[in-house]
Amino acid sequence: MAIARVAEPSGSLQDAKEWGLDREDLLQMYRNMLVTRGVEERGHILYRQGKIPGSFYTGRGNEASAVGVATAMGPDDVGTPLHRDMGVHITRGVEPWRIFAQYMGRADGPTRGKDGNVHMADHRLGLIAMVSHLPAMLPVAVGCALAFRIREEKRVAVGWFGEGAAARGDAHEGMNFAGVRRLPVVFICDNNQWAYSTPTHLGYAVEHLADRAAAYGFEGVVVDGTDVLAVYRETKRAIEKAREGGGPTLIESQTLRMEGHAVHDDAFYVPKELFERWAERDPIERLRTWLRDNVDMSDDEEDEITSYVKKLLNDALHRAEESPLPDVSTLTEGVYATPEDLDTPHHK
Amino acid sequence: MATGTAVDVVMPQMGVSVSEGTITKWLKQVGEDVEADESLLEISTDKVDTEVPSPATGVVSEILVQEGETVEVGTLLARVGGEVGASAPAPDAASPPPEPATQPAADAANAAASEGVEVGDATEQPLAAPTETTGDSGSAGNGKAFVSPVVARIASEHGIDPSQVEGTGRGGRVTKKDILAFVEGGGAAPEAPPAPAPSGQAEAPTPAPPQAAPAPAPAPPKPAPQPVAAAGEPAPGETFEPVTAMRRGIAEHMRRSLDTSAHVTSAIEVDMSKVVAIRAKLKKEYEAAYGVNPTYLSFIARGTVETLRDYPWVNGELRGDKIVTRNFVNLGFAVELADGKGLIVPVVRNAETLNLLGLAKSVADVARRARDKQLTPDDVSGGTFTITNPGGYGTFHGTPVISQPQAAILGTYAIVKRPWVITDENGVDAIAIRSIMNLTLTYDHRLIDGALAGRFLRDLRERLQSWGEKDY
Amino acid sequence: MAEKTYLQAISDGLRQEMRRDQRVFCLGEDVGVYGGAFKVTLGFQEEFGPWRVLDTPLSETAIVAGATGAAIMGMRPVAEMQFADFVSCAWDHLVTVAAKQRWRVGTPVPIVLRLPSGGGFSGGPFHSQNPESSFAHIPGLKCVCPATPEDAKGLLISAIEDPNPVLYFEHKHLYRRIKGEVPDERYTTPIGKARIHQEGEDVSVITWGAMVYTAAEAAKQLDDLSVEIVDLRSIMPWDKEAVLASARKTSKVLVLHEDTRSGGFGGEIAATIGEEAFEDLDAPVKRIAAPDTPVPFSPVLEKAFIPQVDDVVAGLRELAEY
Repeated sequence: MAIARVAEPSGSLQDAKEWGLDREDLLQMYRNMLVTRGVEERGHILYRQGKIPGSFYTGRGNEASAVGVATAMGPDDVGTPLHRDMGVHITRGVEPWRIFAQYMGRADGPTRGKDGNVHMADHRLGLIAMVSHLPAMLPVAVGCALAFRIREEKRVAVGWFGEGAAARGDAHEGMNFAGVRRLPVVFICDNNQWAYSTPTHLGYAVEHLADRAAAYGFEGVVVDGTDVLAVYRETKRAIEKAREGGGPTLIESQTLRMEGHAVHDDAFYVPKELFERWAERDPIERLRTWLRDNVDMSDDEEDEITSYVKKLLNDALHRAEESPLPDVSTLTEGVYATPEDLDTPHHK
Repeated sequence: MATGTAVDVVMPQMGVSVSEGTITKWLKQVGEDVEADESLLEISTDKVDTEVPSPATGVVSEILVQEGETVEVGTLLARVGGEVGASAPAPDAASPPPEPATQPAADAANAAASEGVEVGDATEQPLAAPTETTGDSGSAGNGKAFVSPVVARIASEHGIDPSQVEGTGRGGRVTKKDILAFVEGGGAAPEAPPAPAPSGQAEAPTPAPPQAAPAPAPAPPKPAPQPVAAAGEPAPGETFEPVTAMRRGIAEHMRRSLDTSAHVTSAIEVDMSKVVAIRAKLKKEYEAAYGVNPTYLSFIARGTVETLRDYPWVNGELRGDKIVTRNFVNLGFAVELADGKGLIVPVVRNAETLNLLGLAKSVADVARRARDKQLTPDDVSGGTFTITNPGGYGTFHGTPVISQPQAAILGTYAIVKRPWVITDENGVDAIAIRSIMNLTLTYDHRLIDGALAGRFLRDLRERLQSWGEKDY
Repeated sequence: MAEKTYLQAISDGLRQEMRRDQRVFCLGEDVGVYGGAFKVTLGFQEEFGPWRVLDTPLSETAIVAGATGAAIMGMRPVAEMQFADFVSCAWDHLVTVAAKQRWRVGTPVPIVLRLPSGGGFSGGPFHSQNPESSFAHIPGLKCVCPATPEDAKGLLISAIEDPNPVLYFEHKHLYRRIKGEVPDERYTTPIGKARIHQEGEDVSVITWGAMVYTAAEAAKQLDDLSVEIVDLRSIMPWDKEAVLASARKTSKVLVLHEDTRSGGFGGEIAATIGEEAFEDLDAPVKRIAAPDTPVPFSPVLEKAFIPQVDDVVAGLRELAEY
């Protein structure tokens, strides 16, 4: 018994224009998705070379979902992306070399070695750092929206959670509070069908997680997460609605997690046919085809983009590898904030 | 047979009441090979300077305490074998080790015939002040036995023995208030213990094998030495140097000895001409046959031992309410360390069993071992009587300090050629040139009266003046 | 200056801050229309409106995490847990998100969490706890426990000013029982500094919250003993120097808290005294605390649970006679 609306697939260039995307924007999205995948592919190599300690998580297959949502966010909007949403960091402007430094626990990573993987923040870019307990950041995103509402600012918060995390109380409590107060927050559920080894039918009993939005008093939408333009369109709609006081929306973005839960997991429990089927819907390949078909992306342009990405990542890797390991003396620094830490524009 | 696992090298206990030692020189550095029993380092305590042999064969892997540092007995100093550690590299002596250098060779003594020079009797006296009066000595059943940390600290800062303080705490415990009141009431003067418990007299102190670490003698609350006022800063023209463990020990002992015994000195002149003549004859023979120099000291020692037989109290001890006398004589000889940095009193045990040659040999042996820093705790404890030679530099009189807990000490002085009145067989007086030596007996008047002392000296003189060629 | 109850001091302090700084707002269950379960925010919604005095759903996570998100966006939320006991529902958020943002990613989280704590009125196991020690144990959080009306206002203002998450434990049993002089103007009481409640020579009592008054009453009964009482006020950070100075002065220390004994913050204090003032001790450091049980309901049981004046008198006497 489906309740949520299922989004239309993306259409022509005309549709894209209607939603505010010009050719350059579209090529930029393509670039961002390539950089996202490139960063994570390099990360795999680094990990196997022993240069990345701990564990390593990627969002292969989620590039369109991440980039699509991030592209729809306004410059003053904020978000709490998760570990499958590297595309959000890339799109918002986090430099790849910093991400590599973060992976390798170096002093120039955004957390200076204090946290790893994609647990990073950048306030100037409206990015709030995730934690491992999911979806603990969801009610935090709601809190950001609360601040915007109290101050009557036209800003929107975007909160991410996976279909697995939807089982925890934080999701319910966050969404309920947001619904009750009609807060300017958009909830993105990255439904990649597997919570580690737990398939969806062991995670929730409704047909779509987006159906739960009705239970909180707002709209739910299901979208094909490999269709970056559809994702963009739905997110843009939801964000602008929230911005104008229309309250929250829950967007369920459907993809398949194309790799294991983390690098140590070979996902043997995922049926091979599923991988094959979804490989045919690779989000990057989809956009590439669409660009060639709809905006006449030429071989040269494509090559130029490909080389640009390659060079960007090579340089980034180089720079990151030169970054030193953090000094041990920094371990005990910064446990507590000082008044100076609040000396930022949005704290004034 | 090098050791694979690291073997500990600890600060040995050089004497029952010795609680600490100073490293004066590392003979091996980290990374160097050392054989078991080979000397690894030199140490200095208030009792004795000695070398510490390595407990194992191997490579010195760690040195943890540097030259010049003073540490408690049992402290880990180094390790042999095992991995060459990251610990202290080759010691960089911050302060020059108090080189207890060689004592003057016996030959160097021109006129005087003894090894040492200065007054000495720092034998077997604990370097820490109030001996083993410890807070613990209050036996069980008495809450007084327990000393809390703050009380221990205040006690040590003021040199107080907590057991001397009235306790109002649980079970008679001395509380912080009690000891503070005591301090304010002026009770801070450290008491000289009446008769210290036999500090290694009858019992031979366990010959501390240098590599083992016997339990440190002083029981808990470390009785610190007298409260020494901090010297502050040197005034213009003044220079400071640190007080060594040995000097501290000597200072403690001297003070206590004078506070304990009733020191009186009697002196007598002895005509040593016969001894001089006989010695001249024996010297060549002894040196050729035995490799030993029959020094004047050995003659005097022989005469003394004989005489002591008739005066057991002079070889005795006032111990509490008893007078102790013995059927043996452990004869101590005060020996000066080079540079005047201190002194030592090695003991020849059972001197009554030695003849002149035996005594000459023993005295030479202890002198050499003192010089080579090979004395053991046994060598410097258990004395019953001491001979010292303040006359080595030509002085003719002195008043040495008795080596506690003995009853007397004999002082010998320069043998000087003097015009002397002698009376021949016919009762006719004439002036002759004789070799005259002063002897003093400093005795504890609590036990020994002047008359006894006088008789002792008279008899000793008699023996020395009538030494026969056949006497030995 | 005026005489106020402990509760009035908190209320006035909060109201002053909300008037002074638009970023300060309240959120919690029943804080708006009802004025708060204990009436701390009585009249607030009338003055500041429903968007600055928010009646939230029954959701500690939404309250505390919501406060965190708002604080990250520049607000200065003062969130209320209706009873300190309910903070366990928000434990994950506090420990996982709020406590670690600054250290991990440089993000300060300037939130205040008001926690009505403590027992003594048959509140039972879920309305009487003193959970300060679990949070004192989490690096990144601060914990304060005022005992006097003056400190209640001053510490609340300091907490609001502080750029870190501050757990403010207001003792329910002091709300209306304790009165004191409270300055009218705005002032701060430093977090991390103790206060000498009364000076003494013979024995020190290190304590906080309602136990300060229990200690004072016990000291009065021991007129032959000069008792020094140190009101810690701040549990994390805590005034180690003041505690050590008192320990060195009297050499006999009693650590007293209403929280249960094992794992209570008194253990940290006692261990520190043992480590750093060992040579100044004339007796072992003594602790008096509640036994390791949930808080009982029946008055006779609760009396056996919460340290009473008689317990403290006995403990002090024992120390004195050691």
